[in-house]
Amino acid sequence: MQRQTVAIVLLIGLAFGLVSLTPAMSSWRLFDNQQGYAPPQPIAFSHRLHAGELQLDCRFCHTAAGESRHAGIPSSDTCMKCHKFVTAPYGLVQDEVSKAGEENREPNVVVSEEIAKLYEALGLGEDLQPDPEKTPQPVAWVRVHDLPDFVYFDHRAHVHAGVSCQKCHGPVESMQQMRQFSDLTMGWCVNCHRESNAKGIEGHAMDASLDCASCHY
Amino acid sequence: MNDGTVNKYWKSPESRNRSVAMPERTLDESVAEESAAGTIDRRRFLEAAGFTLSLATVAGCDSARAPDKKALPLIEQPEGMVPGRMRYYASTCSGCSAACGLLAGVRDGRPLKMEGNPEHPLSRGGLCAVGQALPLGLYDSHRLDNPLKDGSNASWGDVDAEIIAALQQIEVSGGAVRMVTDTVTSPTLQASIDDFLSRFADARHVTFDAAGSGSIRRAHEKTHGAAVLPHYLFERADVIVSFGADFLGTWISPVEFTAAWRTRRVPDGPHPKMSYHAQLESRMTLTGSNADERLVIRPEEEGLVLSHLAAILAQRAGVSLTGSELAPAPIAAEQLQDLADRLWEARGRSLIVSASEDDQVQILVNFLNHVLGNYGKTLDMERPSHQQQGSDADVAALVKELRDGKVAALLVAGIDLTHYLPAHEKLVQAISQIPLTVSFAERWNDFAQLAKFVCPDHHILESWLDAEPVRGVFSLVQPTVQPLKGTRSILESLATWSEKPAFAQDVLRTNWQEKVFPRQNRVSDFGTFWDQSLHDGFAKIVTDPVTTSPFDQSAVALFDAAPEVIDYTLILHNTIAIPDSRHAHNPWLQELPDPVSKVTWDNYASVAPETAKELSLQDGDVVRIEAHDSGTTIELPAFVQPGQHPRVLSVALGYGSPGTDRFANIGPEWLESKSTVGRNGLVGTNAAPLLVLDDERLLHVHTGVRLTKTAAHHALATTQEHDSLDVPPEVAPLGGERRHAIEETTLVQFAANPKSGSHAHPLGDVQLWAEDHPQEGHAWGMAIDLNACSGCSACLIACQSENNVPVVGRDEVRRQREMHWIRIDRYYSGEGANTTVSHQPMMCQHCDNAPCETVCPVLATVHSEEGLNQQVYNRCVGTRYCANNCPYKVRRFNWFDYPHNDVFENLSLNPDVTVRSRGVMEKCSMCVQRIQEAKIESQCSGEPIVDGQIQPACQQTCPASAIVFGDLNDPDSKVSAAMNTPRGYRVLEELNVRPSVGYLRIVRNRETDTHAEDHHDG
Repeated sequence: MQRQTVAIVLLIGLAFGLVSLTPAMSSWRLFDNQQGYAPPQPIAFSHRLHAGELQLDCRFCHTAAGESRHAGIPSSDTCMKCHKFVTAPYGLVQDEVSKAGEENREPNVVVSEEIAKLYEALGLGEDLQPDPEKTPQPVAWVRVHDLPDFVYFDHRAHVHAGVSCQKCHGPVESMQQMRQFSDLTMGWCVNCHRESNAKGIEGHAMDASLDCASCHY
Repeated sequence: MNDGTVNKYWKSPESRNRSVAMPERTLDESVAEESAAGTIDRRRFLEAAGFTLSLATVAGCDSARAPDKKALPLIEQPEGMVPGRMRYYASTCSGCSAACGLLAGVRDGRPLKMEGNPEHPLSRGGLCAVGQALPLGLYDSHRLDNPLKDGSNASWGDVDAEIIAALQQIEVSGGAVRMVTDTVTSPTLQASIDDFLSRFADARHVTFDAAGSGSIRRAHEKTHGAAVLPHYLFERADVIVSFGADFLGTWISPVEFTAAWRTRRVPDGPHPKMSYHAQLESRMTLTGSNADERLVIRPEEEGLVLSHLAAILAQRAGVSLTGSELAPAPIAAEQLQDLADRLWEARGRSLIVSASEDDQVQILVNFLNHVLGNYGKTLDMERPSHQQQGSDADVAALVKELRDGKVAALLVAGIDLTHYLPAHEKLVQAISQIPLTVSFAERWNDFAQLAKFVCPDHHILESWLDAEPVRGVFSLVQPTVQPLKGTRSILESLATWSEKPAFAQDVLRTNWQEKVFPRQNRVSDFGTFWDQSLHDGFAKIVTDPVTTSPFDQSAVALFDAAPEVIDYTLILHNTIAIPDSRHAHNPWLQELPDPVSKVTWDNYASVAPETAKELSLQDGDVVRIEAHDSGTTIELPAFVQPGQHPRVLSVALGYGSPGTDRFANIGPEWLESKSTVGRNGLVGTNAAPLLVLDDERLLHVHTGVRLTKTAAHHALATTQEHDSLDVPPEVAPLGGERRHAIEETTLVQFAANPKSGSHAHPLGDVQLWAEDHPQEGHAWGMAIDLNACSGCSACLIACQSENNVPVVGRDEVRRQREMHWIRIDRYYSGEGANTTVSHQPMMCQHCDNAPCETVCPVLATVHSEEGLNQQVYNRCVGTRYCANNCPYKVRRFNWFDYPHNDVFENLSLNPDVTVRSRGVMEKCSMCVQRIQEAKIESQCSGEPIVDGQIQPACQQTCPASAIVFGDLNDPDSKVSAAMNTPRGYRVLEELNVRPSVGYLRIVRNRETDTHAEDHHDG
């Protein structure tokens, strides 16, 4: 390759870069900042229904939040604590019951489309018993909150310090589809640590570390 | 300080007396095979790189969203499992036959980190480098995935059917069945083997160890009427005299022996006392490097020295010993007398050990221990060791049978049979004639290549098994993960071929219920006993003692003649990193610098400096070693080893294993990268052809070998001169500047003045960051007792496993780019046979006035409130100023993105530590992830952190308990106490960098300080 050619190609590349960057400048943010990210999930699980209307505690499903670095995405059998019995929304079940009443027959089991995906993943048959023909597969949730690999956030330290889940995750109880509420940047973390040290959390004095090695190792 | 150019301490013969000019870079371009004949020049390369970068930037800026990442939860969460939390399961190491106790750390279903089991009665919380490297072996993509038939994949069903049919035929025809294993410490596996063999008319189990102790058992048969290997109790010995037994490094049970030996190496207190350890050996072993007195003799001379000792001590004890006039001893008469005096003084508290393969030498050792009244005190015969049961005679008989074509079935487990035997070609031919050959190898090896069937056993972390390393101490092995490959437990294979298939767990449980449980009386119910044993990892059982007869002196015969010198004597030995060829597949162990020579990725012929001078040999010059008797030759690079006997060569076994061709391209790929394997396509050369196999014995000492220099050169990758604390001559003040890293004294001087040996440069008052860094909370620090540290390098692999330290390959090691966060600096001092060795673990010293911090332009390395020197990878831009300014040379730069392409192997990475990318600096973090874990747990529970609760990986595994970590702000902590003893000092204190890591001075139990050096008054 001749040097002139390289120079020309480089210039074109640079120009192309500038052109493509300019419109994006208005919504400029740091690379990897995924605030607002709300990908569709394999099962349209609604936090608004579970955490909002039904008022399930966050840690009913995210059991490890108080014990481990990870809050944990609940294992599929956690869902079966309720969905062994709850197979469809109340309305659908009511409809079937009244319809069965009209037709003078036993009501069928109604399984909603989304919950059927769960049963499928767990390898259950129509009777909700394990079907030997099917292999259970984990539900491939799309990860919403994802910190860079060089950051180590610990849920249990924050839960025990009295930081509410909503402080970082936002009003999850009102989210039909889960989305990233905060920007999860280092500045945002450090601000909160500083504020907590100045004001305390719920009346408790705080000593939130500002050492690099609290999160980076 | 600037009083001379000769260093008292030196790291290699070349670095000694080195004056102003550093040698040219030692990289020998002519050696290694050039990879990729590059046609791109540097400028062209940079142009292309720049273009690619600009396009990547443009592309990168435009993407607002990273690609979706999946988060796969468990389908069913097992009870008690918390995602992200480590759980520990007690198990037993299988790295060698010592069977140390370990705790396998399992996180999210993955075994990740091995720790020593602190409650284990033998290993006492220590674990060696090999034990630490187990997880990498588990996640080894080269492990066999299924059985093989004639070298190609087969199913278990087909293989079983064929083997069963062949065995039935042999059962009818009465053919000879031979099962070869290394020492089986597992009573259950032994029972399975016996059961399997019982149905054949002519069946034998041959035990073959890579280095056996058969002579010790044979000698005890003659002197005590019981062929046993005594259990040596070093913790009870005030005087230890070892004849070539490397008990801290490779002999029988090094972790246990190191822990025991160390208990007598603490001179602190009002009346300083320490054991006296003399080592008589011909090559520089790790044990010899730690001895108070090291005397260099040829292996053939051991008998003569022992005879002299026997004559003196027999006379004192009033035992008559007949013998003619003894030839003069190869050591000075005063030394002999001194040894005898010390031993006599410490009757019942002394211990003589020898690794000799000569029965008569071992009988003399027994005689001496008997005369000194050591039996029942420092040697336990009632509950002997089962750790080495190899029988040379059986192996010799087997080889004869193989050659005569008398074997119908040969099954080999544990040891790579043909790799460890001489006369390879004849053997291969003989074995290929055998109708049924079965290998249980986990991965490709020499015998597996020959075997008709390869039936791979599980990795130990997937297995159910047990061990009884010492009579009455039972250990359990439990699986920590579902088998990752299509392998099968050897217990299950043997059961299937006996046509009574059973699960390994059931075989084990049944055996314990029938054979172990009835022998104890603590628990009445088997279920409780089993659960308790599984939880603890071991069970101590009261057993009937082995009965021995009174000492029979009739076998004792003195060596009266001085053995003649025939050319050179060759010693074939095992190394700490590769105790046998099963571990040659493990890149962590291959890249572990040998604790004494500091060579990685190769075996070599160690020669004395005198020999090197005689033949004008330099490190890496290829030499030819030729046996007079058999005419066998091998060619190896030479390595000049101070402290070696001038007429002795030593070569490590276990290298040149067929599976090591996989390392050809290990390490980063770049224009100048070179292969890690040698000309033979393997790592190192197999030295087994030079073993001597006669009718009765397999000898590792070969007398009468010829040594010649060849024209070839093979540059060794040795780290011995890397990261020197010395000031490079070109920047030092006139006359050079010496920097003292090692401080040592003698017991006599220490008793008189506990501060003796100190260079006493008190810390200055100047603190750089006193105002910013008040350090009111914790101040983490570490104390390392150099008197306890044996240099075994277990900490190095523990750190590698804990902190995701990459492997760089041989060529990169030669370029001084090894990445280990902790290194063991090995210094020599003294002359010739008096060469003294000092080991010093060196890692980031976490200085309060850290020189690295002041020069970082981007604040990527800063001080924490708790005294840690933090390295922030995501801030680092790779100027490397910090590494240049570090006086301890402990910082490591990522010259490359070290390959993490092997998805399976990546499962061994610790998820709590960042995998560093190219262009960033890294170094010891004092396992800050463990500190954080403990701090957060303490915040959550409200319980304060207890001293000793946080253990960095290096401290946890240390067999010698030489490392103490803790809070320097807590005056009652162990680390504060250690630092405040008179032996405490800091390396390069005079620079006032105020390190948080301190060392405890070496105290040698010597009458005189042969290396006395007056620092302040001179």
